[in-house]
Amino acid sequence: MVEVSVTAEVAEKLRALPESSAISMRLKSDQYFDAIQGMIDRFAIKKDLEVVYVTSTIPSQSIINALEVLEIPMEHIWFVDCISQIMMSQEKRHPHAIIVESPTMLENIMLKVEFLLRRVPDRNALVVLDSINSLAIHNNTKILSEFLHILVNNLRSRGAYTVIFSMQEYETEEIRNMLVLVSDETIELGAYSGS
Amino acid sequence: MPTKEHADGERERCVTGIDAIDHILNGGIPRGNTVLISGSVGTGKTSICIEFLIRGAINGENSLYLSVTEPTDKLLQNVIPFDFFDDRLARQGKLQFLDLPKMYEKLGIDKEDLDFDQTRLLADTIASLVEEQKIKRLVLDSVTSVCYRIREQERIRDFLLRLGTVLSAKGCTTLLVSEIRSSEEGYSQWGVEEALADGVIVTGNLERRGDLLRTLQIVKMRGTTHSRAKYVLDLTTSGVLLVPLLKGGSVAGGG
Ligand SMILES: Nc1ncnc2c1ncn2[C@@H]1O[C@H](COP(=O)(O)OP(=O)(O)OP(=O)(O)O)[C@@H](O)[C@H]1O
Ligand SMILES: [Mg+2]
Repeated sequence: MVEVSVTAEVAEKLRALPESSAISMRLKSDQYFDAIQGMIDRFAIKKDLEVVYVTSTIPSQSIINALEVLEIPMEHIWFVDCISQIMMSQEKRHPHAIIVESPTMLENIMLKVEFLLRRVPDRNALVVLDSINSLAIHNNTKILSEFLHILVNNLRSRGAYTVIFSMQEYETEEIRNMLVLVSDETIELGAYSGS
Repeated sequence: MPTKEHADGERERCVTGIDAIDHILNGGIPRGNTVLISGSVGTGKTSICIEFLIRGAINGENSLYLSVTEPTDKLLQNVIPFDFFDDRLARQGKLQFLDLPKMYEKLGIDKEDLDFDQTRLLADTIASLVEEQKIKRLVLDSVTSVCYRIREQERIRDFLLRLGTVLSAKGCTTLLVSEIRSSEEGYSQWGVEEALADGVIVTGNLERRGDLLRTLQIVKMRGTTHSRAKYVLDLTTSGVLLVPLLKGGSVAGGG
């Protein structure tokens, strides 16, 4: 089955990489949820990593719902949500979701990641940036490159994995250049495309 | 009196315990410095000062908060609940809170304006308190309100010099909160404060394309090299966190 393959492929490729790796994950839209499943369920949970998931693409609650359907335990999974500020009231927020007012507040994204990682100094971590394309809608290339550079270096020095999602349909030349500059590895899930 | 020096001439540091600030200052505030924490309303001045004191107390340094504007019993309810705060610090006397109005009362200062003698009496009283209690970290929140009552620039100068000399001699590192308007030039109401202080840390708001960011910048610090860059600040339950302000080649000024 195609879905199983994407999930397994993501997990397998991530497992092959050392700690401190910064990884570009180039996805097609229809591989999105499978990639998340492979990365979190088959990679992060197996390796007992603390997960900090930064979303500027879809509300954290949608991802949480998907994880709950898969019965993935939420204990070590945290969200920095940059797009739910307007839509969600305080009471409805998942206790593991921290809100950043807007995807343009890149410094606040870094601060929330820092806050979450500081609470678990002894655990190794996976930080996911979902996605570079949606951040690029709200930020110019210069500031976004600067952000990625500082964030990735900081995470690397902590020994954390950084995974940056890039949706292939929305990639531009600028985005591709940025990814090359900032990441050590590129995982491309082209092999199972289409069908 | 000369401040303690290491063999290599490097001054001994007061490690604030606020990691990002210690990092920017290459190890902390040179011990005995008097530092102005200057900023407009609600920018985090009190929170930074409280964290500085709690971290010091945890580290075994006697810490004292002198409050002028807010009654100290309300104080902790109005700042972010730090998860490293421990009631025992207060019970053991490591962390003390004192209302300055109560001190005025004890000293028989009842008039709105302090005259020359009363100003000296106030400085000496604070100084001897620091001496007797072996206070290593002191916060005066705010120095602006005290200066309002001293009024005369010359007397303010005398007060700050007198106090600063004793504090520095005793190795007491001090944060003086300075309230300014965001539109104002300089970092203090009278200008004397920033001229006499050994350091100036500025907190503020920065508007960038409709987003309001809290910022912090270390403008001056005698006795150490330091970054003068602007940082973005977050007040969290695990303390004050800072990251560099992104420039991105497109920041529309302001501060
Ligand atoms: N319990 C709390 N939880 C979260 N944030 C809080 C809490 N209490 C205060 N804050 C934040 O801290 C800010 C005020 O910080 P603080 O009192 O340190 O600033 P300040 O510069 O001393 O203000 P002032 O000019 O009023 O003295 C508030 O605007 C609020 O955003
Ligand atoms: Mg205050």
